Amino acid sequence: MSKMVLTRLGMALISLLAVSAIIFWCVEFLPGDAAERILGRNATPESLALLREKLHLNLSAGERYLHWLTSLLSGDFGTSLVADRPVLDYIASRIANTALLSGFALILYIPISIGFGILTAIYRGRFTDHAISVIVLIFMCLPEFVIGILLISIFAIKLAWLPPLALIGSAQSFGQLVELMALPTITIVAAMSAYAVRMMRESLIEVLDSSYVLMARLKGLPKWRVLLFHALPNALGPAINITALNVAWMIGGVVVVEAVFEFPGIGRLMVDSISHKDVPVILAISIVMTGAYIVTNLVADLLVILLNPKLR
Amino acid sequence: MYGKDILRISRRALLATTGAALAAGPLATALHVPKAFAQPKTLRIAAGEADGATGTLDPALSTADPDAARINLVFERLVVLDDTFSAAPQLATSWESNATGDEWTFKLQEGVKFHDGEPFSAKHVVYTFKRLLDPKTASPGASSMAAIDPAAITAVDDLTVRFKLKAATVEFPALIANRFTYILREGQPESELRTSGIGTGPFKVQKFVPGDDVSTYVKNESYWRAGLPKVDVVELRAIPEESARIAAIQSGQIDLCWDLGRAGVEELQKNPDVKVVTTRAPFVLTLSCWADTPPFDDVRVRQAMKYVVDREQMLQLVLRGLGNIGDDNPVAPWVQYALKTEPRARDVEKAKALLAEAGHPDGIDVELFTSETTPGFIEMATLYQAMASEAGIRVKLTKAPSSDYWSAVWLKQPFVCSSWSGRGADDALAAPYLSTSDWNETHWKRPEFDAFITEARATTDVAKRTELYQKAQQLLRDDGGAIISVFPDALGAVRANVSGWKLHPQQSTKDFSEVSIG
Repeated sequence: MSKMVLTRLGMALISLLAVSAIIFWCVEFLPGDAAERILGRNATPESLALLREKLHLNLSAGERYLHWLTSLLSGDFGTSLVADRPVLDYIASRIANTALLSGFALILYIPISIGFGILTAIYRGRFTDHAISVIVLIFMCLPEFVIGILLISIFAIKLAWLPPLALIGSAQSFGQLVELMALPTITIVAAMSAYAVRMMRESLIEVLDSSYVLMARLKGLPKWRVLLFHALPNALGPAINITALNVAWMIGGVVVVEAVFEFPGIGRLMVDSISHKDVPVILAISIVMTGAYIVTNLVADLLVILLNPKLR
Repeated sequence: MYGKDILRISRRALLATTGAALAAGPLATALHVPKAFAQPKTLRIAAGEADGATGTLDPALSTADPDAARINLVFERLVVLDDTFSAAPQLATSWESNATGDEWTFKLQEGVKFHDGEPFSAKHVVYTFKRLLDPKTASPGASSMAAIDPAAITAVDDLTVRFKLKAATVEFPALIANRFTYILREGQPESELRTSGIGTGPFKVQKFVPGDDVSTYVKNESYWRAGLPKVDVVELRAIPEESARIAAIQSGQIDLCWDLGRAGVEELQKNPDVKVVTTRAPFVLTLSCWADTPPFDDVRVRQAMKYVVDREQMLQLVLRGLGNIGDDNPVAPWVQYALKTEPRARDVEKAKALLAEAGHPDGIDVELFTSETTPGFIEMATLYQAMASEAGIRVKLTKAPSSDYWSAVWLKQPFVCSSWSGRGADDALAAPYLSTSDWNETHWKRPEFDAFITEARATTDVAKRTELYQKAQQLLRDDGGAIISVFPDALGAVRANVSGWKLHPQQSTKDFSEVSIG
């Protein structure tokens, strides 16, 4: 297993390098440069020339990429062209925000998806199953921003229970923070749980119908024991993989949800940086996002292996 | 089959979850820092234009609207503009020029202190203007103040500053009442100016980091105007999505916002917790075509394009009546020096005749670029397309992305939607229409027009100066390439417990010193 982990990590490094190169050249192909985006409407040829020189934009693209890569090897992610501050410090606060949102979402997501999955599987074909399945399907079909706007108009505007925007910069206490984060968290969970619930239902049904579960029941084990210790671990595999993808999706930035709730997360920073052509920031975020995908998938694979003695 | 067992599972799951929530608690609290003050009055304001990484506090380099808000909290100018765009004192108490209008002397306010205690005096004014005009600063404002000779700005004494100009400028005080001329403290390192400038304004910077979502400012306890400011802390952020801004003010997450659309205002007018604030502004919404490019190079075509517009309908449908009618003249009728004309009435037959005369009996095909970058562009372009089609002007609408509209479309395409924030007569005429302007969006170059403006700037007699500015406007109205049908009002809103705030028609002027809460 350690060999597998090492191989995977080696592959990960190669992927990261490839991603950085691809992203860099893609951004190069976008029209304009950071100097134009910064000065916008007020640009004059002289001010553009001065700014380009200051930002080293007059170097060739190859030189700029190599320079970025060599400083990265010494641990330096560079300086944001636009915000004029160290990239690492710049994206760290956004990553912390996104991690916080993902954490809140996961806390709700795991019991909801496993619980609903179990409910639909054991009540299959009955009312509970149909009701949950329909609700889950509806959330699966609705885009996140629709869910978000619906929640805002109901819970923030009509009922005035919760604040509409996640302006977490103004939070004074943990209680306020929870209030501010409530609506985006629920939105993400609603959008994300659907797949996991359905996946959980299918795989649990398959396991419950298998002969070893029948065997366990015939041995006279209590029902809850059979469900929790015999059926559930074997049914979790697919749900864990889906969860890994979901976590990576959240860390990659739920741009639309962030935009609806004005949440200062990593996704919007990425979008803004692309529109400013702020290359060092774009590259750093790509690497973080790619890294998140690689790590979460690796962790998911390891979990699946741990749960299944046959793969150990 | 497993029905009864479910309860136990969910209890376990519940326990596991609460455990995780408790464990996550300390981590989460560690992530946000703000401390509670002893009941400070905090004013939370939200700009409508995106802020983000480009944000700056450096007045010489400010371009975006949130920058203007920030700068107005911290800094002050010698001269400000009143509602009709005439000059009024701020850090200067009075001014006078020599007989020819090329030497100006400003008396400065006594007893003003910078945030660090340094007394405000003439040397800071000299420093500010020299820096602003230095090509190394690369200020976008430098070209509009090219008349100032940087070497001839002198501190006569501690409270007197003299400017010698390269060319006579009678409206010099109004010329320097722009978004770039806020007075900096001499001796502050250049590297601090972007994020922690020291000014004389009502608030001091507490925390501003470009790219962070909120910046905070605290009351300047030794502010020179007695009794001001009326709040202790200001929190500034940008909420570019209008519906989000409206939701935020409705629910009380923010106290004050501006840049609202017409639909948003109607929604807010129904809410008793919110007060809508409007100001008549000479903000220009225009359709601009290149007067040197076919088919627009024929004045008859340009006139036909103006005759198809039903201005009243534009006002009602684009702005829902919240604005004023324009007559293809960027100087709104209530602004000083304005030429007051009867707005051109719609005349489709005349437009057709003019087109035929110009050699287009079957009409013309044109491509109009629009974008969501300024509210009203899409509506204006769509309505214009419908109005123009009746006269045989077939408009093909192209919607361009708003992110790079001003760098990729404006000044690059021959027929575009454009907008200009409200300004005084001279600036409104000179910035977009002088032959030599960097922003000549209509490629309309008339030496007579340039001469009127240059002469007006050097004419000390008010009546004569007015006449010259009006001649320039008449020429532009009849011959120019800009179709200016409406001036939208500036729209904002405050919570019901907020008072003392007015929107200024000069968009970059945002005075929060008199705003109070409760």
